[in-house]
Amino acid sequence: MVGMSVLRSAAAFAARLSPLKSGNTAANLLTRTIPRADKVAVRWGHGKKMFVIKPSDYYDRRFLRLLQYYILLTGIPVAVIVTSVNVFFGEAELAEIPEGYEPEHWEYYKHPISRWIARTFYDSPVKDYEKMMAAIQIEKEKADMRLSQMEVRRHMRQKGDGPWFHVETIDKNLVDNSHKSTPDH
Amino acid sequence: MPADYDKDAYPEPPRQTPVADKQTALPNPALIVSKLFYYSVDLPVTTFRGVVDSIRANNKSVYYHQKFRRVADLTECEEGDYLCYYEAEMQWRRDFKVDQEIVKVVQERLRACQQREGASYHQNCGKEMRQFNEVTNAFQLRYGDLGAYASGRKCLMKQKERMMAAQAQEA
Repeated sequence: MVGMSVLRSAAAFAARLSPLKSGNTAANLLTRTIPRADKVAVRWGHGKKMFVIKPSDYYDRRFLRLLQYYILLTGIPVAVIVTSVNVFFGEAELAEIPEGYEPEHWEYYKHPISRWIARTFYDSPVKDYEKMMAAIQIEKEKADMRLSQMEVRRHMRQKGDGPWFHVETIDKNLVDNSHKSTPDH
Repeated sequence: MPADYDKDAYPEPPRQTPVADKQTALPNPALIVSKLFYYSVDLPVTTFRGVVDSIRANNKSVYYHQKFRRVADLTECEEGDYLCYYEAEMQWRRDFKVDQEIVKVVQERLRACQQREGASYHQNCGKEMRQFNEVTNAFQLRYGDLGAYASGRKCLMKQKERMMAAQAQEA
């Protein structure tokens, strides 16, 4: 009996907590029935929650997430840098070469990043041309030397009087001409 | 842009803007649409361009077209002078690129003429068509079937063959 009164007072306290909600009087709180959710007539409501069984898409989503991350890791800085270069420096304009002025090799490019690359990393095309000509000159001299060496060798072998085809013989003073005890010594 | 495009090569048709002769009190829809376009697209784009130009104003730079000196041809090189061969080869390659660009420009002119004339291009584009035919014929004769590994030597040999064929035909 005491418990019943505690329950009733607890119900009265709960009812007082939210008095404006209809159906929340002290009498209602203890004796109202629990509404059955699946037997209610609902039209286009949220519907019953289904547990759909499908294969795991964790690995696919992880792949796409990591792909996005690694692409954007360098993609965003590159995009920001290129945009700021285009906004703050702009492309160069075409002009006639002034009299008596020889432009540097990077001044033949339009975009500021191409100019920077040509200025910082690349040699000027004039220098590349000269490097190639130097390589050709060295190879030409090597080829000429080889040809002349072949010619000289041919002559020496034919005539037999050049220093390349001498066979060294031992000094004649070292030969012992005294009589030996057996024919082979 | 140092110079505008060649106005003779790409002539514009005469303007056909009609004289404004308003005969009704109703608003002109073309005018409304053009004003709408102006305020929604043209003006923002122009102001944006102005803003960006003012940011770029102190960082202006220029670029030039490189001019190359003429060097000795392959026919003027002595035999075994590989340096002369290299310089002649590089000059031939530059000339090849220039000729390719010339063909592209002539093609572009013919295309522009066809676009301008519409259905009557057979009649009105005679000059451009003749120029295109001449230029492409000459290009084909000179650089025609040289292939991907074309070089100044091969081009010279092709010229020799052409001259021999012409001589054989005359005789």
